[in-house]
Formats: sequence, C-alpha cells, structure tokens
Amino acid sequence: MSLVASIISLLIAVSLLWNTQSVQSFVWFSVGNFGIPISTTTGALNMTLLLIVAGITPLIFTYSIGYLKAPSEQGRYYFEMCIFAAAMMLFAISANFITLFIAWEMLGLTSYLLIGFWQHKPKAQVAARKAITTIIIGDTAMLIAILLIWVTYQTFEFTSLLYVAITPQLYVAMLLIAVAAFTKSAQFPFTEWLADAMEGPTPVSAFLHSSTMVKAGVFLILVLAPIYAELNLLYIFIIFGVVSALIGATNALSEHHIKRILAYSTMEDLALMFIAIGFNALYAAMLLFVVQAFYKALLFMSAGSIMHAGDDEEDLFESFNSTKSKGLFFTMLIGTLSLAGVFPFSGFFGKVAVDSVAANFSSIQTIAVYIILSIIDLISSIYIFRWLFVPMRKASLDKAFTLNVNYRTLPKSMLIPAIILAVFVVLGAIIYVPLTSLLVLSGPPVSISLFDTILETVIVLAGIGVAYVLYVQRKLDGFTEKHGLLHGIFSSENSINSFYLYFVSFVDLVAKGIWQFDHYIDQILYYSGKGLVEIGNAARKLQNGQVNLYVAAFMLGLLALVILYAM
Amino acid sequence: MSILIGLMLLITVVASFLVLGLDRDYSKRIALFASGVVLAITILILITSLAQGSVSLSEQYNYVSAFGISLQLQMSAINFILVLMTTIVAFGTVLAGNPEHEHEKVANTLILLFEFAAIGLFTSANLFVFFIFWDVGVVALFFMINSLGSPNRRYASMKFIIYEIFASSLLLLGIMMIYFYTPVHSFNIQTIISSAASIPEATQAMIFFFLFVAFMVNMPMFPLHFWLPDAHTEASTQGSMLLSGVLTKFGAFGMLLLFSILPISREFAAPAAALAGFSTLYAAFVTMRQKDIKRVIAYTTIIDMGIILVAIASMNEFGTYGALFGMFAHGVTIALMFLVVGCVHHIFGTRDMRSVKGVVNQATSTAYSFLAGTFGITGVPLTTGFVADVLIFIGSIQAFGIIGALPLLGLLIIGAFLYFVINKSFLMTKDPLQRVDYIGVEQKIGYAFFMFFMFLFGVFPFLLLGLTNLQL
Repeated sequence: MSLVASIISLLIAVSLLWNTQSVQSFVWFSVGNFGIPISTTTGALNMTLLLIVAGITPLIFTYSIGYLKAPSEQGRYYFEMCIFAAAMMLFAISANFITLFIAWEMLGLTSYLLIGFWQHKPKAQVAARKAITTIIIGDTAMLIAILLIWVTYQTFEFTSLLYVAITPQLYVAMLLIAVAAFTKSAQFPFTEWLADAMEGPTPVSAFLHSSTMVKAGVFLILVLAPIYAELNLLYIFIIFGVVSALIGATNALSEHHIKRILAYSTMEDLALMFIAIGFNALYAAMLLFVVQAFYKALLFMSAGSIMHAGDDEEDLFESFNSTKSKGLFFTMLIGTLSLAGVFPFSGFFGKVAVDSVAANFSSIQTIAVYIILSIIDLISSIYIFRWLFVPMRKASLDKAFTLNVNYRTLPKSMLIPAIILAVFVVLGAIIYVPLTSLLVLSGPPVSISLFDTILETVIVLAGIGVAYVLYVQRKLDGFTEKHGLLHGIFSSENSINSFYLYFVSFVDLVAKGIWQFDHYIDQILYYSGKGLVEIGNAARKLQNGQVNLYVAAFMLGLLALVILYAM
Repeated sequence: MSILIGLMLLITVVASFLVLGLDRDYSKRIALFASGVVLAITILILITSLAQGSVSLSEQYNYVSAFGISLQLQMSAINFILVLMTTIVAFGTVLAGNPEHEHEKVANTLILLFEFAAIGLFTSANLFVFFIFWDVGVVALFFMINSLGSPNRRYASMKFIIYEIFASSLLLLGIMMIYFYTPVHSFNIQTIISSAASIPEATQAMIFFFLFVAFMVNMPMFPLHFWLPDAHTEASTQGSMLLSGVLTKFGAFGMLLLFSILPISREFAAPAAALAGFSTLYAAFVTMRQKDIKRVIAYTTIIDMGIILVAIASMNEFGTYGALFGMFAHGVTIALMFLVVGCVHHIFGTRDMRSVKGVVNQATSTAYSFLAGTFGITGVPLTTGFVADVLIFIGSIQAFGIIGALPLLGLLIIGAFLYFVINKSFLMTKDPLQRVDYIGVEQKIGYAFFMFFMFLFGVFPFLLLGLTNLQL
C-alpha cells in the first residue's frame, strides 16, 4: 500500500517538472486584517529536493519489505514512515515559514517515533529522547524566529524577506534559524543525537540520512542563503561547519558500530555543505546535497544488509565474509568509492566542488579551511575503506561462526533498491547536469579545476593506501586505542556527551532548587494555617465560664490601663 | 432575542436534579443525554454563526422586575468559544471520565451542576451574575473533590476551598467597589466598560489589585498556585478534568474582563505579563521534579495558563484571539491528558512514573493518546495548541518585544520532560508493569472524542477564528 502511494507521489513529483514554476498560496486562517497563509512553490531548488525525496521513498519502502518481517509492527512502521515522507515532501515545496514550520515539526516528531521504534530496546528510547530534546530546542528557536520576523515585517514568505530593510530583529531571527538548522542537521554543538539515532531501524536511518530530516536544515539555509549573505552572517556556517566536519570525520575513524560510522560521515558531509554555503557557493552545496542523498542511502542499505545477514551484529570488527554475497559487496564497493570521492563516481564531483570553492587562496583563513578540508578528505577515505575492508576478513576459526550462512539468502527486496541506487550513484553527476540547467541560484557555478581533481585523487589514493595497510594487512592494530591523546582526539563523542550531561544536571539542579522552594512555601502556608487553628483553640479555652478568671483578667487590664495613663 | 443560552442552563440544571432524584441506573444516561443536547446546541450555534461570520446573542430573564433584578446573558465570540470548550469537556467527562463506575450519581449531579455554572459564568453580561455562577462552580467542584477523590481528599479540598473563598471575597469586594464607584451604579458589563474611565485612578488601581489577585488564585499563578497540585492529585479523574479544563478558565475569563473593563489595566499589563512569564518558567522547573504523572499534568496547567495570561496582558488583537484559542486548546487537551492519566491509574493501579512501564504494551490506545495530548500541550502543528501558540506569541512579541517570547522556554522544558515521561513509562516495553484492570470502550471513545476536537480546530482554525465579534 505505502509502496504504491510512494510511487504515485513520485509520478506526481515528476509530472510537476513540466509545470511552470509557480507559487501557490491560500490563507489558512486570519485574525483581524492579517491572514496567516500556507504557500507552496515549485521553484528549482524545491523541485530538486522533492524529486530526491520522491525518488528515494519507494526504494526505502521496497527495502523495508525485506527488512521488517514481523507483521505486528508493520502497521505502525508504514504509518510513521508515510507521514515522515509526506512531511519531507511538504517541506520541500514550502514557500513560507508557516508551511515550513509545520513540515519541520512533523519531521522532528516522526523521526522521534521512528528512532524509538524498537520499543523493547531501552537504548532506542534513550536515543529517541536525546533526539527529541535536541529537536525541540531547534523548534523553539525556529518558532521564535519566524514570529519575530512576522511581527517585524508582517510576512512569512521567503521571497519577500529578500527585499526588506535590515533591522536588528532580522539578525536575531536569522541566528535563531541557524541554531534550528544546526539542530536538525546535527552540527556542532548538537551533533550527538544523530549517531545515537542509529538505534532506529536501518531503513529509517537510510531515509533520515539521505533525503529527509538532516537535509532539512541544510536546505533551509540554502533557501535563505541570500539573506544571510546580505547580513554578512555566512561565515558562521564556515566556522561551525569546519568544527562539525572535524568531529564527524575523527569520530567516524574511531567508531566500531557499522551504522554509527556512517552517521558520523553524514555529519561530516552536512558540514561540508554548510561550508560551501558559507562561501556562498550554492551550486557546489546543492551538487553535494544531491549526490550525497544517493550514496548515503546506498551505504546505509548495505550496512543494514550486512547486519541483517550477520544476525544483527552491529560491531564492525565482529562482521566477517562480506564478499560472500556478490550483490551486496558490489553495492558496498560503489557506495564506498563514491563517498571517498574516487574519480568517475558522483561523490567525487560533490566533494571536489566543495573543495574548489575554498581554493581561492586570498586570505589566511581560506587557506586554513582548504587545508582542513583536504585533511578531512583524507580521513574520510581512510574510514570508509576501513568500513569496507574490515568485514571482508575471513572469520577466525576459533569462534564457532554460523552467522554468515545468511549471506546467500539476503532477500531480493533488500538488494534490488540498493542496486538501483548504485546505478544512480554512478550516474549521479550526469543526472545533475540537466538539473543545474533548471536551477537559478546566486553565486558562482561549479567549476572543477584540474589541480583540484589531481589533488583529490592523490589524497583519496593515499587514504585507501593507509586503510589497506592498517586494516587489510593488519599493521598497527589498535594503534589509536593505545595512545591516550590520539584516542582523545578521535573520539570526541564522550566529551560532547558529558557536556550535555553537565548541562542537563545543571538544569536539574535549578529545578531541584525551585521545587524545594515551592515545597517550603507550601509547608510554611500549611503550618501557618495550622498555627491559626491552634491560636483559635487556645483562645477558645479562655472563655471557660469561670467568673473569677474574667474578673482577674478585668482587674489586670484595668491595672495596665492605669499604669499606661500614669506614665 | 433568543432562548438558546437559557435553554442550555435550564437543561443542565434540571438534568442535574433529575440525576440526583432518580435511580442510580439512570444517572449516566440522563447526564449523557443532557450534556449531549447542550453540546449539540453549541455546535448548532457555531454552524449558524459561521454562516453569518459572527455570533451575537443576548438574553434577559427578569426575576424581580420591580427591583431590576434579572439574569442577563450574552454571547459574543469570546463567550462562545469558552462555552464550546465547556460543553465539549463536560460531555467527554460524563462519557469517559469514570472507568471505575464509582459514585456515578453524585458525580454526574455535580458535573451537570458545574456545567450549568460554567455556561452561566461564561455568558454572563452582568458582574453580579458572574459572581453567583463563580461560587456555584467552585462549590460544585469542592464537593467533587471532597466526596469523590482519593484518600487524602479532605485535606486537598479544604485547601482548595480556602484559596477559593479568599479569591471569592476579593472578587466580591472588587465587584462591589466597581458598582459603587461607577456613576450609574450598574453591574452590567457594557455599562461599566463605557463608564469605568470616570472612576478615580487610585480606586481603579485598588480594584485592579483585588480582582487580579482573585483571578490569579483561580488561574492559578505563582505565588498562589499551591492548591492546584494537591487538588488535582486528590480529585477523581472527572474532578481533575473539570478542574483543569474549565475551572481555571474562570480566572482567565475574569482576567480578560478585567483587562477590558478598567482603563488603568494598560499600565499594569507589563508587570502582569512579567509575573505570568515568571510563573510559566517557575512551574516548568517545578514540574521536572515531579514523580506522579498526574501532578506533572497538573503543573502543565500552570504553565499554559501563564502563557494565556501573557497573551491577555499583551492587550492586542492577536493576544486576545490567542488567549481565547489558547483557553480552548488547553481545555480540550488537558481534559484528554487527565482522562489518560486516570485510565493509566485505573489500568495499573499506580501513577508513579518510576513504576509505570510499558503502557504501550498493555494499553496501546492509552499510550498513544498520551502522546497526542503531549503534542497538543507542546503546540505541535495541526493541533489547536500550535495555532494558540502562534497567535499568543505574535501578540506578546508585538506588545513586549522579543522578551515576550521567553515563556516559550517553559514550553520547551515541559516538552522535553513530557517526552522523557513518554519514553520512560509509555513507549518502552521492557519489563512492563502488569495491568490489573481494563478500560472500556467508553474511555476509548472519550480519547477519540477529545482528539477529534483537538485536531479539528487545529487543522481548521478558521472554524473558530471566523467568529470575529470580540466584544464583551
């Protein structure tokens, strides 16, 4: 059912290509003279994203048929996945902030439900909680920003925001939107939820990392990039992008979990896109955006297949004999080559395009960024080939392995989408050419110089060589684990997590203080009420009907009065 | 001149006494029928007035015409939205709120009596009538807590009534001062609005103070909120639904009246909003330390009502619409939440989030209803809460600048915490707590009923915002 629905939506999306680009809008509700509109657009950028989403959705659903066998879970799974896909499609075509925000929150919530899909796994629930906490920080920032924009300019439309006067409110709003985009796209300091999100089902990860959710943040900034350029705020994307890319690349290198490696690499890819936006090179960012969707979906599907075949073994170093299934190994290889950026594959064009924009050696900063980008390219080719090489090993004999018998019986529904994607990955750059002719973006078009091509190839080959030496010939096994400093650099995950923990315990402490204050005030009120009752009881005892006591009190009072007057 | 409001009042009060007089077996049927008819009348009014674009009814029933004592009722968009909320919550409460089937007779009598009071209060065109209905409502709920709650109910109900009597006395004082200081000596709200400017400023300030404190107790606001958590924890499910869903709106409606009656309230708007914003953040932090799920929900009431007061105090069009929509959204959503928590208590015999585990495994509809209710409270798009949040915070940013958006942080904290509760107690199925009882189909219909309205007016907010007659 959902497969049919997704194919229909793909057809609709494709048919939209032949329509003229237009913005459609209707008033959702109005207050006084002000209407709150819902508007959609079929602009070039939007169509690109819509096509990617609509194209990948049927593949993911096909993959899910093989992945998820238990009938009791299927209803919930496809329900949530359909909403997830629908939200992303709505996001893709939204032309104003209110439409965008609706899609944005639906994305966040469905991803929360999908990450926590395995309800019997406590780890999945913890991951879902971390994701939703990060996401609602972004949502709140976003809501404040769009309301601020509305109050200042009385508009929700992206296009009309280009022509408004610059005010301090716009700066605040745009910074808040950047925060929101960072939370969605898992950039520093909101990086950690993405890796933990791997607790969800694999098709969800494939979907979440390739075309939906994490792409939402980048896409939002892409759409709004002209405004950031006008405000001279683009440099923040370079700074946070570089930091996140380093975190992603180094953690991917030290991680052992098959899917988490890919998660960190997504973080790095997204960071590269942000860096490209930071240089106002929207074509380059968009190119990487498109090709990354395909190769990352492919890699995740392969990862899921390895795990599926290996009885859900999640540790890279416990997986063996991945070459047994030729189809699977072939898709893994193509995905890996593409991610590393080997020449004819689409990933190469994406990565080199981003490198090229940084390659104007005009100032010390850009040189630094370029060097860092080259290092990141090196690391990423090392870790992805590590990811490829390690499961290729033969199982050692001392363990009684029965788990690899499954490799030959991988369901067709899990292989076919991966193969289709592999074709897309190979052809990705060619597909992109007609798309670029549709796109109308500001900034320089993609230009890939020979120098960058050669440099990239050299770096990638060096990375492959290092990975080969380290993980196939098994030299320097456990090198990073032995050296404390290196280990510290290559798994910043723990330090970021403990930063979160400190923050949470700080908030908890504040809450505890306020709660105790609340409790004490309540107690004070309770006891003062009780005190009043006690006073009443005491006073009641005075009226005991004994006349001599009354007379005594009267005499005492009289005495007091006399003394008072006498003084 | 219509008779619809009078009819609604008559139906509820007659049904209330019928339930009391007739046999126990009939009580639920009568109550369902009566509240259903009232709900139908309200929806009828909504449909007819949407066609006209506004709602404007006014009714007068003379009691002792020689002395001019009469029951004056009116219905503009403000009154209508609150009445709609009341009838929805009351019907849902009668339908689903009592999975134990305990004390049905008393409970239904008091619910109908309270519905009578609430409809009367929200449509009163006259401060004296307002005060009378206020006290009827408070007393009805006092007995509801006092006779139908859990073991510690007497303490909680006494606490509740002491706070409310304090509020009532200040309210009466304020109303009397308005009566004596306006030149025409009238209780009529229209007359007061037109002549309130002639009250001396110092007196106005004093009246404002009295009424503000009175409504603050009822809403409730920090530092007068201490009755609320206890009252909610100890009340029965039906009691909590009405208490939080409808009674707290008495105060908010009063605030709305107060801010439109007294010209001087414009000067106090900013401090009032600051207090409300502080109350929101304060309650959000206190919520984080709660272990009882019902107490958590009770504290979210303080947060949401704080946000509504921010909206009222911003005193512009968006703020007023936002406050109204927010009250509607909160009423429906919180009733759903208390229903769910009541059912959790019924199913598992406990509400402690440390021991409740695996609700989704044992009672799927209950778990997902809680999730939907959380969406409503945190203002997820396509629920009423989202529309309310957008309107409220546009209003408050217009009035107070970006500081006006700070209460959203309260929503952020409570959102994070509620998702924590959901993950820990509702969605995680490891080591589930065994259920001790079942819920009936009525409760499930009740969930669906509340969720229907939560999403209906969230997806189609123009159904309520199409009513443009905001005059009090």
